[in-house]
Amino acid sequence: MSKVAGIPPKRALPSKEAGLFKEVLTLYETRQLKKGLKTADFILKKFPEHGETMCMKGLILAHMGRREEGINMVKKGVRFDLTSHICWHVFGLIQKGEKNYEEALKSYMQALKFDKENMNILRDSAQLQTQLRLFENLVETRYTLLRLRPNLRQNWVALSVAHYLNGNVTEAKKVLEHYEKTLKNVPDNDVEHSECLLYYVKLMEESGEPQEALDFLDNNRRAILDKTAISEIRARLLTKLKSDAAESAWSALFKRNAECSDYYSEYLEFRGLSLEGNSPEALAVLQTLADAHPRANAPKRLSLSVSTGETFTQLAEPYLVRGLERGVPSLFADLKSLYKDDTKKDAIEKLLESALERFKKDSAPEGSTEPTTYLWTLYFLAQHHSYLGRQKQALSILDQAIEHTPTLPDLHLFRARILKRAGDYLGAATSTNDARTLDGQDRFLNTKCGKYLLRAGMIEEASSVFGLFTKKDAASPGADLEEMQSLLYILEEGHAHELNGKPNLALKKYFATKKIFDEIEDDQYDFHGYNLRKFTITIYLKMLKWEDTLFSHPAYVKAAISASRILVSVHDDPSIVTALSAIAPLTDAEKKAKKKAKKAAAAAKPTDDKKGGAANEDKGLDIPVTKDEDSDGLKLLGCSDPLERAFQLLRPIINVAPSNLQVWLALYDVQIRRKKLLQAAAALHHAKQLSPESPGLHLRIVDLKHRASKLPQAPPAPIGPVFSEAVAKLDPGSIAPATFNSQYLQLHASDPEAIFACAQALHAIESPLDEVENAVFTLLADPVALDTKMARSVLRFLTSIKSTRAEEFRAACDKKFELSTLFKTPEELATLRKKVLNPKDAPLTGSKEAKKEEVTP
Amino acid sequence: MNIRVARVEDLMAMQAANLQNLPENYVMKFWIYHAMTWPQISFVAEDEKGRVVGYVLAKIEEPGEEGSEEVHGHVNSISVLRTYRRLGLAKRLMLLSQEAMAEIYGAKFVSLHVRESNKAAIGLYRDTLGFEVAKVEKKYYGDGEDAFSMRLNLKHTGKGKV
Repeated sequence: MSKVAGIPPKRALPSKEAGLFKEVLTLYETRQLKKGLKTADFILKKFPEHGETMCMKGLILAHMGRREEGINMVKKGVRFDLTSHICWHVFGLIQKGEKNYEEALKSYMQALKFDKENMNILRDSAQLQTQLRLFENLVETRYTLLRLRPNLRQNWVALSVAHYLNGNVTEAKKVLEHYEKTLKNVPDNDVEHSECLLYYVKLMEESGEPQEALDFLDNNRRAILDKTAISEIRARLLTKLKSDAAESAWSALFKRNAECSDYYSEYLEFRGLSLEGNSPEALAVLQTLADAHPRANAPKRLSLSVSTGETFTQLAEPYLVRGLERGVPSLFADLKSLYKDDTKKDAIEKLLESALERFKKDSAPEGSTEPTTYLWTLYFLAQHHSYLGRQKQALSILDQAIEHTPTLPDLHLFRARILKRAGDYLGAATSTNDARTLDGQDRFLNTKCGKYLLRAGMIEEASSVFGLFTKKDAASPGADLEEMQSLLYILEEGHAHELNGKPNLALKKYFATKKIFDEIEDDQYDFHGYNLRKFTITIYLKMLKWEDTLFSHPAYVKAAISASRILVSVHDDPSIVTALSAIAPLTDAEKKAKKKAKKAAAAAKPTDDKKGGAANEDKGLDIPVTKDEDSDGLKLLGCSDPLERAFQLLRPIINVAPSNLQVWLALYDVQIRRKKLLQAAAALHHAKQLSPESPGLHLRIVDLKHRASKLPQAPPAPIGPVFSEAVAKLDPGSIAPATFNSQYLQLHASDPEAIFACAQALHAIESPLDEVENAVFTLLADPVALDTKMARSVLRFLTSIKSTRAEEFRAACDKKFELSTLFKTPEELATLRKKVLNPKDAPLTGSKEAKKEEVTP
Repeated sequence: MNIRVARVEDLMAMQAANLQNLPENYVMKFWIYHAMTWPQISFVAEDEKGRVVGYVLAKIEEPGEEGSEEVHGHVNSISVLRTYRRLGLAKRLMLLSQEAMAEIYGAKFVSLHVRESNKAAIGLYRDTLGFEVAKVEKKYYGDGEDAFSMRLNLKHTGKGKV
């Protein structure tokens, strides 16, 4: 740390203490925390108001795990010496540990005011500016760093990257060129140099200089070590330039990797062809490639996509037979996209049936075919029928296969899938458990079984199954999966809690999802410095882009929308919380889990409390995991600001997933209740652009019109007129909500989703309950194709509006979907659930014969 | 099937596949770290819909690290979803990774650990790819199982060629 002329008297220390203070700094940097603390205390005894020492002491305390005490000390220290760069730097470090990047950067900027050329602070500021995407400021900071240390290679690259991020490719390129000129004696095989050159190529490409980029690649063939990258960039650039040399560039790539389907589609594009639709020209190209790479699967498979008629059959037969003979489990998944063409689907079905006949004969003891070929053909056929909605046929074929070979887990897994499609979630869970027990070492089967148990609402059982593979020292299997960032587990369990009527526990899982994404967003922080030191620039730039759209990940979107729905429902009906708080009886497993968690917390405690002692151990500055004070999620569910929280969950998605209809609809639900009229209407406008006839949108337009009509007075200008205009735009006819609703229903009279939306809309406009109910019950009439999932939502809706006919609807669905377990009474479910993991004494799920009868096609 | 070098956008799917398939798991930062440090040597196989069905995550160890005198590659994790087996994906992924390790980093050999009981994987490494057991590491895994530490020499013909 550098000296500033004219030290304020409060900061000046006599030479002995000044020496000690320097020692504190060194002790801190080498993490000799205990000694550092002692030395700081020694100074403070004589100079109790010395701000810098107080800050250092606070910092050391925080590192020792005495966080709160340390932070208070730092704050006090800053107040005692507001012009010390050390005090502000320390404060910034604490804020950074709290992931409060904005505030940390402010503190760093304060620190820089008093020590303009402090390298550490400048470097940290650059990282914060990158994290916060303050690229203009980043350029400035990087420039200062370069000015101070022009000999450091990294500083040149860092400035170039800053310009690039700031949108100035030209300047980025210029800086890099300057840097390259200064390079002397680059050793051979230098990966860092190689990566740097690839970054340069990228800059040339993005500056619209493809020819220069190509020349550069050719002139630096030795220095660029990543030959795949060279080949890929060359092929793409030559394609762009429509150069004949592209032909050989592509063929070089196929030689490297003939199983990359990206190469095929891009190569076809170069030839003016495409993989979409049938094309004899594309087929010819693919066949040539298939001949050139006889062992590659990709050109054979892609040929099926572009061929038709007799040619298709001729190509499909050997492809199919080979897959069946090798017992490729994914063969159906591989081919099913061809089914969008009916003639191909029929051709495959024909080929399969004749193959089945042949293999059946040949698989007899004296036959020539492996018996497993017959088996895999049955497996394929079952998938084929199930995919086409013929669950009964699928199940009977699959049961033949299981009879043939009862020990193949894949068959049981697919059986589960068929049952799930038919709505029998409990039977499906049983089948996955059968698969799991056939190969207890295979975690894939274990995960599937746990997931299916969750789908069946059997959370405790799922936990014990997951527990076979999670860490034994974790507080619970779920805790380990959460720590390992298993989105699959968290979302499925959240959903299961919702099904089981525990929105509080569901909400906890959805917020846990948010936490994982926050962690991943934070993960990038260290790389803002790291990648520059490693010179892995192109991948770093891609990482930043990826982080920018992180919250568009389907798992986050799903969690945010689900949580938002729960929060909105609690806002509308706070009695949900009181009802849950009143009962909340713990199940045995919940009690056990609670006990265990308590024990684990107790066991963990002594180390936390080890104050002073041998606490030289560095606990870092990140906020430690705190004890969960709300294990049943009721505090979260009953929070005073549900709408605000819902909005905070949805907000990060809006800009990164603008084409997701459900996000806009969820946003409307929140904004209209937050009385943000214009934003609510704007959300619906976005939705309308995406899908003007969507039932979900219709429901909300009715809701908005109704709410608008009920406003005690028009909102004042300028909001009022803009709002009225926005509402009018959503419904240009400006008809009354009820009429608007019945008109929509007439247009979509047999669409179950539309009917359901209209019923919900009737409820929204406060129609009498029987009118809503009557609308709902039309869902059960022919020809409305109500499916199990929708029926389940409808049942939940009826329950939520306290309809007396909910039970009637449930019974009707139970009858209509005979195989489904979604509409059983709680008592029936309890009995059925007991049998899932003990199929042997379960006549209902154990007898496959009985099951077959129940399946509806 | 699309077999190609792993991209940043693949990392979460790779992490998910790992968690679904194998007992040894890592948080996202670990996956990001590998991609940021050795961006060219990890690969994925994705299906038609762009779902990752198999991956190999690899790193480079410099001389002096892990007690070796030579720069070499190490396979951290490789797996293919059960429903995508018998397509030779694991082999392809390994070969591509090995080639990149040798070509870019001049790796002299590639190493990996495998559970002693994992017959299928040992078969792939030894019989298909030519790995040999270098030593047995006692109680290498969290549950107390021993690991085979296996190795394959990467032959160089001239500079950077496998």
